[in-house]
Amino acid sequence: MIVDGEHTFPGPRPALWTLLQDPEVLAKAMPGARRLALTGDGVYTGVIRIGVGPVTAAEWSLTVRLADLVEPASYTMHVDSKGALGFTRGTATVNLDEVDEGTRMRYHADLSVGGKVAGVGQRLLDQVAKMLTKQGLDALNKEVEARLAADAAGGAE
Amino acid sequence: MSRGHVGSSPPRNEDHRLLTGNALFVDDVHLEGMLHVAFVRSDYAHAQLLSVDTSAALARPGVVAVITADMLGDYWQPGPLLVPPPPIDGLVFNQASQVPLAKDRLRHVGEAIAMVIAESRYIAEDAAADVIVDAEPLDPVVDLEAALLPDAPVLHPQLGTNLAAHVVQKHGDYEDAVLGADLVINRRFHYDRGAAAAMENRAVVARWDTRAEELTVWDTTQAPIPIRNGLARMLGLLESQVRVVAPYVGGGFGPKIMMFYPEEVLVPWAAMRLGRPVKWAEDRQENFFATTQERSQIHDAEMALSRDGKILGIRDFFWHDTGAYDPYGLTVPINSQCTLLGPYDVPAYHSEFRAVFTNRTTVTPVRGAGRQHGVFVMERLLDIAARELGLAPDEIRRRNYLRSDVFPHTFQILFQDFAPLYYDSGNYAPALEAALDIVGRETFPALQEQMRAEGRYFGMGIVSYVEGTGIGPYEGARVTIEPSGRVRVATGLGTQGQGHYTAFAQIVAEVLDVNVGDVNVVTGDTREFGWGTGTFASRGAVVAGSACHEAATIVRRKVMEHGARILGATPDEVELHHGTVRVAADPSRAIGFGQLAGHANPLRGAVIPGTEPGLEATAYFGPDHGSTASGVHAMVVEVDPETAMVRIDRYIVVHDCGKLINPVIVAGQVQGGVAHGIGNAFYEQLVYDEGGQLQNASFADYLLPTALDVPRVEMAHRETAAPLNPLGLKGVGEAGCIPTGAVFAQAVENALPHLALEIQEIPLSPSRLFELLRDAGPASARPADPALAAD
Repeated sequence: MIVDGEHTFPGPRPALWTLLQDPEVLAKAMPGARRLALTGDGVYTGVIRIGVGPVTAAEWSLTVRLADLVEPASYTMHVDSKGALGFTRGTATVNLDEVDEGTRMRYHADLSVGGKVAGVGQRLLDQVAKMLTKQGLDALNKEVEARLAADAAGGAE
Repeated sequence: MSRGHVGSSPPRNEDHRLLTGNALFVDDVHLEGMLHVAFVRSDYAHAQLLSVDTSAALARPGVVAVITADMLGDYWQPGPLLVPPPPIDGLVFNQASQVPLAKDRLRHVGEAIAMVIAESRYIAEDAAADVIVDAEPLDPVVDLEAALLPDAPVLHPQLGTNLAAHVVQKHGDYEDAVLGADLVINRRFHYDRGAAAAMENRAVVARWDTRAEELTVWDTTQAPIPIRNGLARMLGLLESQVRVVAPYVGGGFGPKIMMFYPEEVLVPWAAMRLGRPVKWAEDRQENFFATTQERSQIHDAEMALSRDGKILGIRDFFWHDTGAYDPYGLTVPINSQCTLLGPYDVPAYHSEFRAVFTNRTTVTPVRGAGRQHGVFVMERLLDIAARELGLAPDEIRRRNYLRSDVFPHTFQILFQDFAPLYYDSGNYAPALEAALDIVGRETFPALQEQMRAEGRYFGMGIVSYVEGTGIGPYEGARVTIEPSGRVRVATGLGTQGQGHYTAFAQIVAEVLDVNVGDVNVVTGDTREFGWGTGTFASRGAVVAGSACHEAATIVRRKVMEHGARILGATPDEVELHHGTVRVAADPSRAIGFGQLAGHANPLRGAVIPGTEPGLEATAYFGPDHGSTASGVHAMVVEVDPETAMVRIDRYIVVHDCGKLINPVIVAGQVQGGVAHGIGNAFYEQLVYDEGGQLQNASFADYLLPTALDVPRVEMAHRETAAPLNPLGLKGVGEAGCIPTGAVFAQAVENALPHLALEIQEIPLSPSRLFELLRDAGPASARPADPALAAD
């Protein structure tokens, strides 16, 4: 399954880069995230709870390993998620470019989905992936705005 | 003298129990203290299994045990090779049968990893979700051709290759045939997977009786006796200590053959270990992943013909997907190889196949069992040749049929029964003419023209096939007249809706002159009858039916002899009459069967030396060869070229299964087979992605044809008696589904003559047909065949 697209955030690139490495921010942005923690050098582990169509919501263990970091421009995420209903694993690349409106993120994920969720959730999988991605980006966008506002307020002190 | 029982359609003996909800199915078995099982299954198509952590599952209240491969000890053995490969020169066969629980390697999604046993199924399912499987994914093997490339990942490292088998069979000289040919056509054909989709999923219940030292297993198997024998061997028991009961079963269609599925061998083992009854019933999800399937094949086929449309030779290379394991040997591809020849005279044939291991669910026979692939290839080649030669589809078939005077006819290639492919009898051309008459050979073209004027596209297809049925090795039956006067018949087959309780009763009633309703048939219980093979290959009626006939004939002789003695006559002076034996010249001197059975089993006096007590006999039947059923299917479709939706308007079957025991049961078999075939042609397809993940594992996405999609089949029966069994029987269980894809393809093309549409794959679907229609150019742009053009 390919999930790709782009989103433009209001803030400057270095600020966005920092936020994207912060497990607290990521936990807020990630739909269904129950826990997320930095457990090693560039390795995040946690638990998310997601359902797909006829597959009832279930908990999935999640490991994300960041690699090929080129600060503040790009990185790769190796995603490995497992649960009672199947697995998702694959690689996502993230590129950050400076644009007039702020920072443009381009993402491209190539994920394989297996097990029960692939067998019965197929016709909804793409839609669910798009929906979750949008939810995640919207949440991240909100977080960026909040941080920027906080920084601005802090800077005014 | 015919009493009219065979050949009639009395009310079925089993219907009362079925319709009143009193038939026992395996899931109806409830035993005190019974435990329930859920399986932890692989999410991966191909992976290295690193560890299985069952601690959380074991901690869940109500969980009794969680079994992994390591805990099975010596009981962990790959399953038996169920059908060894035939003795064909140069044959390569690499065996890798399924394992009870995966140990190091996961080879398909749904492969069992651990068995959770708990006080209820709910607890077992929850605990199964607690089990943590750590596995490292490996590159999957999905593409049949890529699987055999040198750098392909290998499923079974001990084999060093994904090649499961390589088989070449031929007769005549194909190269010579090509040299003398006016037309040579070659094409690539694809035939993809489908599920058997029986209404009842698999189920197993096992109980170990410690005091009786007896294991009872209720199993949805088509072959209870081989399962009993295998379980006894594996568990170190006498065969007589194991009773396997296959009660009423809601459809078999092949995958319930004696598979020794993981669940089938683990549930009895657990019942013995735990000393409590254990039950597992498959859910539909599991069925999609863990019950065997059919039928991916790719054929590169070539046909050489003379200008007048006579087949000179055929060459076919094909790849057969055997899935992750190959416990059923080569039955499916051998059936494809042999059935391709059909009812036709093919002077030269070269057929070569490679069976390939892939990371998909194991392939074993599903109704048709590979025959439909061969028929599809042959009938498509004939259709293409007919178009090139300007012949009608029926005419090219007519010109190539084996003549009715060539039987028995032997081809020099080996069939699934290890004997040369043998046609015992047949008469093909009249079936074709009969089918054309039913369709309306004059009226259909007029209808087609009229509809086209209204902007509607009607098409017709007509194809032929043969089906090798009724193969050995043998079946048996025991017939007993009880003191009540009722007759008890026991046979070793399993039954899954074929009407055995009635058809066998009819055969026995015919011999003994009793009412069909007074004959009580029992099948599928090894305690009742312990010798036999199973229900497969359209063989039940032919082989077990012949054994019933033989046993009843012996009982009839005993009745005549014993009756004559009591009536003070000689055996040739008495006759049977409606459950009595009487003196023909003086019918007032008569004795009923019940009373006679009492006399035959005296409490005092002596049984005459050299005779046996009772009115009972056991007999076996094993034919030298199967019997060759055949038929013609025709179909009328309406195609909407804009939506690519196809409506099947009419379906005609002219079928020859020899002597009919029960025409209504035969009609039911054909109608059901056609429904299966229509599903296979236009609705049902198991779609795997390149990672070996099944994409449509539910009936929301896997489309079964509904009653609205399957017309009532217009049927005509021909009865060319089989010479190798006493009643002239041939099998009919698979006939309905074998040529359906081929006739569908021809009918759809016929509906759209303005397009250069050529269907080379089955299953189709509306969306796939839409693509084919979009890509098909106008018929006028079809290139002329170079072989003919150059001539």
